[in-house]
Amino acid sequence: MSTNTNKGPAPILPPPLLNRGMVGWAHDNLFSSWYNSLLTVASGALVIVTLWWGLGWILLDADWTVISTLGGFLAIGEYNTEKACAGQNCFWRPQVSLLLVMVLVGMAWGIAQGGTARRIAVLAAIVLAAFAFLPYSFERMGMDIRLLLAANIPAVGIGWYLGKHTRMGSVRNVVFSGIAVFVIILLLLRGLPGIPGFEPVSVIYWGGMMLNLLLAVAGIVLSLPIGIALALGRRSRLPVVKALCVAFIEVFRGVPLITLLFMSSVLVPLAFPEDFPLNRLFRAGIIITLFSAAYMAENVRGGLQALHPGQAEAGRALGLPSWQTMTFISLPQAIRNVIPAIVGQFISLFKDTTLVTIIGMLDILEFGRSFIQSYVVDGKVVFLDDQEELLIFIALCFWVFTYGMSYVSRKVEKHLGVGER
Amino acid sequence: MTTMESKNGAEEIIICKDVHKWYGEFHALRGVTTTINKGEVVVVFGPSGSGKSTFIRTINRLEEHQKGQIIVDGIEMTNDVRNIDAIRRDVGMVFQSFNLFPHLSVMHNITLAPTKVRKLPASEAEKIAMELLERVGIPDQAYKYPKELSGGQQQRVAIARALAMQPNIMLFDEPTSALDPEMIKEVLDVMKELAESGMTMIVVSHEMGFAREVANRMMMFDEGVIVEEGTPHQIFEDPQSDRTKLFLSQIL
Repeated sequence: MSTNTNKGPAPILPPPLLNRGMVGWAHDNLFSSWYNSLLTVASGALVIVTLWWGLGWILLDADWTVISTLGGFLAIGEYNTEKACAGQNCFWRPQVSLLLVMVLVGMAWGIAQGGTARRIAVLAAIVLAAFAFLPYSFERMGMDIRLLLAANIPAVGIGWYLGKHTRMGSVRNVVFSGIAVFVIILLLLRGLPGIPGFEPVSVIYWGGMMLNLLLAVAGIVLSLPIGIALALGRRSRLPVVKALCVAFIEVFRGVPLITLLFMSSVLVPLAFPEDFPLNRLFRAGIIITLFSAAYMAENVRGGLQALHPGQAEAGRALGLPSWQTMTFISLPQAIRNVIPAIVGQFISLFKDTTLVTIIGMLDILEFGRSFIQSYVVDGKVVFLDDQEELLIFIALCFWVFTYGMSYVSRKVEKHLGVGER
Repeated sequence: MTTMESKNGAEEIIICKDVHKWYGEFHALRGVTTTINKGEVVVVFGPSGSGKSTFIRTINRLEEHQKGQIIVDGIEMTNDVRNIDAIRRDVGMVFQSFNLFPHLSVMHNITLAPTKVRKLPASEAEKIAMELLERVGIPDQAYKYPKELSGGQQQRVAIARALAMQPNIMLFDEPTSALDPEMIKEVLDVMKELAESGMTMIVVSHEMGFAREVANRMMMFDEGVIVEEGTPHQIFEDPQSDRTKLFLSQIL
């Protein structure tokens, strides 16, 4: 054996030209071995067959008129029916609520540097405004409804201006505006007695996707802070606090959500004064939030346990009191590291909002289902065979939102460098 | 603040009297008694598991001692949280694994404690941080994140972070053990400069070159007690204890 010692610096060479281009890629990734080739052919065949039947059905056989017949019912349920708001027209209340949300989305776009907020804001505004041009008759979908839908584009624009060019443009202000907007929306949808045209609408008529979204947003916004508090409580050195948090988490995680919702009319009033006005929407919201918070607590606790103990030690060694060490050092890192689990819980919570049907609320899924079962709308028997179309459409509605959450979470993870130390 | 004058006129800044520490059944510190004067640089060494790290971690209460007395800068270490926080503000610490906050920029790592604990305005804290970064030789890294820095740079940021609280005492827990050889010198140079500026330092380290050059006193730990202490000259040229002789023969 002889050793070759280089006197000068070794030359810098380009990488070898192997397996470039389509053929090379296919060879490396699809046909690298006989079983790989077999899997490629088999899954290719599966995709082709599925597309053939699936697309064929969607484009040729399916009758999508069931969606257009139900129309606004899927969005807001029976909210704008005669029995819900007798003698008045209530369509504008959910629509103005939507406009307020779009102003917030616009503000987020105005503040954010990256393109994710912009993409979501622009896409949402365009899709919503496009509904203004649905080929319904003007009798069925009035000019006022169409104008309010089209107004989503200027709403996003106003939000963008507020976020970019005014003193409203800070994350803190958007968070506070978001809380304010949520309260305003609840008030707007509920109405006030004694104001003509703004009479109360009972929450039992709040329905459709609007109901799912209201419950999901309230649950998501509240369950994270409650979950963090429970996680900290569970790690507390005070035995009573710890025992209470452990008991809460284990009870709410150990019982099915459906059971908790059934029990909500018994459970929730225990926590409130006797004459506190608790409607079923409020009760369902509380139960869903607490249920999700119990899971959230365990996610956050996992994140805290994964941290190197040196992080908290460094904080304490600098003289930071333990609550500041937790707030500025441990929690931000713990939450950052469990974003995938937290967003998974958000998605799960959103889908679980369909369970409110068991306490008699008509969310989008229950509305579709009851419609399929009754076969009757406005006294006419219709669409006996169209439940597939309806269910697929509802599934698509859920998918759009859950995919949105998952997309945003991926961007946030990337931005924060999750997985890197 | 009650500072005590010892007989030779030096100001005693850390006083340990018969300090004991148990981890469960394991007796980690078995009666450590020593006094460290203001401005002294003490290098603590000894085999692993000898209690040297535990000892310096009791000085800022990262470890609680169960028996004995520790007085730091005139404040007795008790269970009183106010005392503990007061001592920690006065004692900086540098860790073997740096323990920089990875979610914060270098600048923010340094300014966090001064703004939250000392309530300095952000602009002033940043000015101090910049001066410290210049002192440790990396002002151009101020707005990077820890993971973008080399190990030696990270440890220098950690030193700057501890100094930003303007401590009277600095503790170093094996500051160069996790570093590649070519980065050890840049960290030791910073520590040398700090020692020359009059900082009271306790350094757990096996960098014997550093000890010989910079330390006023060396302490050999074994099985939870100080086996031997003396000037570097005494320790290297004329060690008294057999355990010190054996240990030095193994690492030199």
